[in-house]
Amino acid sequence: MRIVIADDAAILRDGLAHLLTARGHEVVAGVGDAGSLREAVAEHRPDVAVIDIRMPPTHTDEGLRAAIGLRRDHPGLGILLFSQYVETRFAAELLAGSSNGVGYLLKERVGDIDDFVDALHRVASGGTALDPEVVGHLLNAGRRGVDALTPREREVMGLMAEGRTNAAIAKTLVVSDRAVEKHIANIFLKLGLPPSGDDHRRVLAVLRYLGA
Amino acid sequence: MAATDRMNPGAVLRAPVSRRTWAELLYALVSMPLAVLGFAYALVILVLSAGLAVTAAGFPLLAAGLGGAGRIAGFQRRLAGRLLGEQVEPPVRRVAAAELLGRMQTRLGDPAGWRALGYLGLKLPIALTYLYVVGVTWGWGLVALTYPLQHATGLNRSTAPDGRSGLHIQGYVLDSWPRQLMVSAAGVALLLLAPWAVRLATIPDRVLMRWLLGRRGLAERVRDLEETRAHAVDDAAATLRRIERDLHDGAQVRLIALTMQLTMVRDAITDDGARALVTTAQATAREAIVELRELVRGIHPPALDHGLETALTTLAARSGVPVEPRIELRTRPTAAIESIAYFCAAELLANVAKHSGATRAWLSLTQSDGRLFLRVRDDGSGGAAPGRGSGLPGLLDRVRTVDGRLDIASPSGGPTVVTVELPSHA
Repeated sequence: MRIVIADDAAILRDGLAHLLTARGHEVVAGVGDAGSLREAVAEHRPDVAVIDIRMPPTHTDEGLRAAIGLRRDHPGLGILLFSQYVETRFAAELLAGSSNGVGYLLKERVGDIDDFVDALHRVASGGTALDPEVVGHLLNAGRRGVDALTPREREVMGLMAEGRTNAAIAKTLVVSDRAVEKHIANIFLKLGLPPSGDDHRRVLAVLRYLGA
Repeated sequence: MAATDRMNPGAVLRAPVSRRTWAELLYALVSMPLAVLGFAYALVILVLSAGLAVTAAGFPLLAAGLGGAGRIAGFQRRLAGRLLGEQVEPPVRRVAAAELLGRMQTRLGDPAGWRALGYLGLKLPIALTYLYVVGVTWGWGLVALTYPLQHATGLNRSTAPDGRSGLHIQGYVLDSWPRQLMVSAAGVALLLLAPWAVRLATIPDRVLMRWLLGRRGLAERVRDLEETRAHAVDDAAATLRRIERDLHDGAQVRLIALTMQLTMVRDAITDDGARALVTTAQATAREAIVELRELVRGIHPPALDHGLETALTTLAARSGVPVEPRIELRTRPTAAIESIAYFCAAELLANVAKHSGATRAWLSLTQSDGRLFLRVRDDGSGGAAPGRGSGLPGLLDRVRTVDGRLDIASPSGGPTVVTVELPSHA
């Protein structure tokens, strides 16, 4: 993967670049603010951009604004927001319209670098990667139809929202692939999603779930 | 003051040589040049700043001038305290903002500075009465007392057509010894009168000082307290926010960097036992990050930087009971009020989850007449009251620091509606 990293803390930028390079990825640019991020993306055309939400000058939501702009200008670009805090509204704003090729992770997830790289891969190939804590918040918000889900189905739904495949969900919950498929079919039914392409319904389910 | 002095003969005789008399005389004498300078100062400040009002220099000059008047007032209070024994309590100092513009506004809006300027204007006529009184009593008294000497040395004497030589008063010539001694006696009388006359003359000045240079009554005190309290509340909010920033850019970043560096260490070593240790260390670092985040959320939730709407939406999403938020804000309250509203909402939602047995809750924040209304309603069993671990007393304390109100309607059987009313600024 070709990656651009935007974070105003050089120590995190460099550390992440080091780890990703060691795993065979190419970090084409590391920048410290939204303006340089836009330039770097336009110049290098990376597969994915890792973006800190708080960046200069105001240290509030520059990264989010830049990410929304980049989604518009570079539809193929995967975007992973990277933050020390989880804010529901940010997740909802980022997911508005489509959840393809976006992710929102807490910074500390880089501690498990393989999971982190996995999330980057998902985002780069048009999938979703949401932090379990983000998903938890959105779940709590009590969305339409979600009340009807059993606890197990909620768990499956949560993992789907994180962007996991059926196989990954089965592995995480230590159940068979078949069981996961059954849960997912029930979820589709309870959320009132008509039969169509499975990927499409999956995205719809996640969106409905997240209320985006 | 005069009323407390016993007018016994001893006191009357001793008065001209008492320390107090000399101090008051000194005060009256130095008042004249000081009053002239002060009057000129006030005049120059007012005329110059009025003349420059159309330029950018007008208001800064006036602000600086008022500041100077305040300092002159301080000198005047010390002078009066030292020489007149008149202890005037200084007015309550306004807490000035750190930046120049704010300091200027504080000065311009501070009545103490304007009153000091007023005192400088009124001091001149008072100083003129001092001059007159001192001249008539001490001056004439000394001249009359020493008249025989003057007569002997040829001072103050003129020769009348009839050849008698001395001071003439209405054709009465003071030339013989008895007549000279009569003048001296009049001088003694004037000198005995002088201390009391000067003391009497200082009364308007004392009143004026207490009125214009002193601390005002209860109303002013209350307003000052409100102001300083608002400053304290805002200051506390700013401090908490700075701590949050420092943690975000400092300790939290270092801990995240540490987890990355531990991954690098794990990459670099092959020994399985050592790798397991590194993984444990990483988990510990991660716990520290989570704890730090919870701590920060307790002092200044980062979401507050984006306004109450974002913060309360995030809060509602995190709640254990499904919460429907409705936030309608036209203008943004100050940071301190936002913080209080946020923590009230957090406490109330925690109460809903812990005590009410509710299945749903509604959170609304509206604005009307410059006041903020935070309302949390649930469909629970009711019976909420301060105490019983509800956190409501703490909430009330928080709300009261800014003159807010807390209203609890919670009949047994529910529903519970708690309304918090806050001003838009502290």
